[in-house]
Amino acid sequence: MTAPPAIATSGLTKDYGSGRGLFGLDLEVSGGEVFGFLGPNGAGKSTTMRLLVDLIKPTSGSARVLGLDTVTDSLEIRRRIGFLPGDLAMYPKLTGRAMLDYLGELRGGVDARTRDALVERFDADINRPIHELSTGNRQKLGLVQAFMHEPELMILDEPIAGLDPLVQQSFHALLGEVSAQGRTVFLSSHTLSEVERVTQRLAILREGRLVVVDSLENLRKVAVQRLEIEFAEPVDPGEFRAIRGVTEVHADGATLTVGFEGSADAVVKAAAAHEVLAVRPREEDLEDIFLHYYRSESVA
Amino acid sequence: MSFPVTKITLRLRAAAAVSAAAGLIAVMAAVGALFPSVGHTIGTLNVPKSVSNLLGGADYGTITGWFRSEIASIYGPLVIGAIAITGAAATTAAEEEDRILGLVLAQPIRRPRLVAAKATAIAAIVLIVALGTWIGLIVGVALGGGGITLAHMTALAVQLAFFGFATGALAIALGAGTGRRSLASGGAAAVAILGWLINSFAPLVAGLDWLKYLSPFYYYAGHDPLAHGVNIAGIVVLGVLSLVLTAGGIVGIERRDLRA
Repeated sequence: MTAPPAIATSGLTKDYGSGRGLFGLDLEVSGGEVFGFLGPNGAGKSTTMRLLVDLIKPTSGSARVLGLDTVTDSLEIRRRIGFLPGDLAMYPKLTGRAMLDYLGELRGGVDARTRDALVERFDADINRPIHELSTGNRQKLGLVQAFMHEPELMILDEPIAGLDPLVQQSFHALLGEVSAQGRTVFLSSHTLSEVERVTQRLAILREGRLVVVDSLENLRKVAVQRLEIEFAEPVDPGEFRAIRGVTEVHADGATLTVGFEGSADAVVKAAAAHEVLAVRPREEDLEDIFLHYYRSESVA
Repeated sequence: MSFPVTKITLRLRAAAAVSAAAGLIAVMAAVGALFPSVGHTIGTLNVPKSVSNLLGGADYGTITGWFRSEIASIYGPLVIGAIAITGAAATTAAEEEDRILGLVLAQPIRRPRLVAAKATAIAAIVLIVALGTWIGLIVGVALGGGGITLAHMTALAVQLAFFGFATGALAIALGAGTGRRSLASGGAAAVAILGWLINSFAPLVAGLDWLKYLSPFYYYAGHDPLAHGVNIAGIVVLGVLSLVLTAGGIVGIERRDLRA
């Protein structure tokens, strides 16, 4: 018998009125996958995660986590998952250690060695009161509590927020390890750079609706790409605008920024007709990919 | 019920409860010490019946009347009500507003068990304050020259505890039902004050005497525990009310979305 998907939603809707909320989400996340859930602030990412953890009830539609219904089997789901809320808050008077002890007692079955290893890995300060900790140090505690019982599925809302680059590296390594163990990670972010190194697939959400679900590689293929080309002398931008697939050209002195879809071959060949000092790829940001899909949708 | 939730709630609220209990002991010791020199001089105040009712009879000439007016009618219920209401509002609605409850309820714990555990902790906090009241009464009455039996002092502490249970349970019901701290504390405080006014004024208005039965104050002090001992019926009413209100909070939080 095949294992059920880690997450499966069907027409999942949470309508807050005035167009706010989540609408008709159909999504499937396979077991062992690191899945990125992307969208700008207010897109519905946190709402989706809160529905999966049963902190809020759907207006319509349904969701299953590890094959269990999020409303009727919520307790069993919460036993088997780890959750990091996007707006993480803990008792300010307690130390990190006391807070982790408390959550561990509530959950039961937490191996102290696993917890301590995570504390060490993230270099989390568990001896000071939480109100004295920086946002990043509080986030480390949030990550420890989400992973410390070695759950089958981790639902992480903006997990990298506030973390310094070294801790981010540790976090990414941990995601790789849990994925290799066959465990699933469902994580949200509003910036692509946070998730592109770790996710196999991602979904983009905008204004409560799913825009696309695909691998990052496929998304990049269809998205607008840009090259920044520095010439020895200023060149005519019209020469590049005439190339098939080029969507935009900006000139700044002897530097051209060329946006294009598909292969870079024609752009590079056109540039080679001039003396080129440097070619720099301009990394796509999430908004570019969003805009691409909006344009596609509006045309459709 | 969840023992870790009760334990953490007690840990976070115990300092306030112990401070309140210590304060009550100190105040009652001072009140008792003042009685021999001041009480007999004041005697029974010649004030309108309405004011007399608000002050628990305004009889300052006897040790029982002195403590009834100084402690039982206002100060005692004010302190225990405030501790119960602020504690209850802080453990449900405030945690929800502060976004802590979202993390807690992402753990494998049912909402009814969480609310029941918090209600238990608030009851324990009320008992700490009631114990302070009891000790304070014993010390104060001794310093005042005696004259109230241990049983009647115990009766006041017990009635006061049940009054605290009821006001705390109301705050839990409002907090768990709405997730709003201001509504939980403000609503419960308003009901407690209204109950005090109704219990004092309703008996003075022909045809409205029955209103006193709607006041938790009546079941706490209507029987005058310092003079007559424990009022079992009053305790039962307040106890049942506390359980019903807590159950209402459980139903309320179970049916709604968490706010934050």
